[in-house]
Amino acid sequence: MSHDNDMPDGELLVILRHGPHGSSWLREGLDVALVAAAFGRRVSLLFMGDGVLALLAGQGTGALGQKGTAPTLEMLEMYDIETLWVEAEALARFGLDEHELMLAPQALTAEAIAHAVETHPRVLTF
Amino acid sequence: MKLHIVNRSPASSRVYGQALSAMGPDDRLLLIEDGVQGALPQLVRYYEDIPGRLYALREDLEARGLLGHCDASVQVVDVDGFVQLTEEAEQTLSWY
Amino acid sequence: MRYAILLMGAPYSDQASHSALRFARALVARGHRLEAVFFYHDGVYNAARLAAPPQDEPHLVDGWVALHDDHGVALQVCIAAALRRGLMDAREAARHGKEGHSVAEPFELTGVGQLVDLGQRCDRLVTFGP
Repeated sequence: MSHDNDMPDGELLVILRHGPHGSSWLREGLDVALVAAAFGRRVSLLFMGDGVLALLAGQGTGALGQKGTAPTLEMLEMYDIETLWVEAEALARFGLDEHELMLAPQALTAEAIAHAVETHPRVLTF
Repeated sequence: MKLHIVNRSPASSRVYGQALSAMGPDDRLLLIEDGVQGALPQLVRYYEDIPGRLYALREDLEARGLLGHCDASVQVVDVDGFVQLTEEAEQTLSWY
Repeated sequence: MRYAILLMGAPYSDQASHSALRFARALVARGHRLEAVFFYHDGVYNAARLAAPPQDEPHLVDGWVALHDDHGVALQVCIAAALRRGLMDAREAARHGKEGHSVAEPFELTGVGQLVDLGQRCDRLVTFGP
């Protein structure tokens, strides 16, 4: 669990609330995060609700060869997006442990989520 | 203070919970579109943790015939009031 | 204040486009400057120049164009989201070897960078999702 003083000052918080493959929300939200980072903004990512499923290891392509989003997630570090959070409550709902997710995100309680939102001057929800 | 905007009904969507998780102690929440169902006395309990900070959009209540069914604890604003809420908040977040 | 709107709902499918247009009109009526509407996700369908709703329904495309003409609001459409969905202007149509085009001025195809820029330079960015 995170404490307030762990949180660096980000300029843009992108909240991703959808899993891979079911819709384009995850991809299009990630695109905004990557472009903002490429423009030099300090970007934080929060995977919330179904969005925590984006971080499961072992994702594949879709039946028609759709790429999915896992390859994009692996590029986050290259874009200097290093603040990665997941909603602890959503992990519990899916019976997942933060240690079995890719990219080693930090789990946040509802209180810590409110703090993350509070400390970012701009927040976009996808 | 931030303004959170919710357009889904708490009767059929978990989105209200996401908005509540992200809310700070002074933040406000505005119900629009199908979200205004949350202003009904039977559903307003989902928002019991934010007393005095819950708003609903008049035009969307009226269009659905729900204006007269609103719980007394909900502050009803028109679209001009919606704009005013965004002026008073340092930023807005939408939950859909 | 300087505002921008991010619209991600398809017109006539969800209320998002109606909500955004109504909000945009209220904004300018209160004397604010609406810099741009950025159309993303299914919101890009708001730029479809061939939209022909029945006459007794609000014409959303005309509504956006009027905001541009009367108040100088930029109408920015995410090019990546638009092309995937078959929405392109004459230039992109020529580039992709397509007959006809589905997006015309004052809508402009642009990148997500514009959204990032709007978020940076506007006082408020209000999102309308489906």
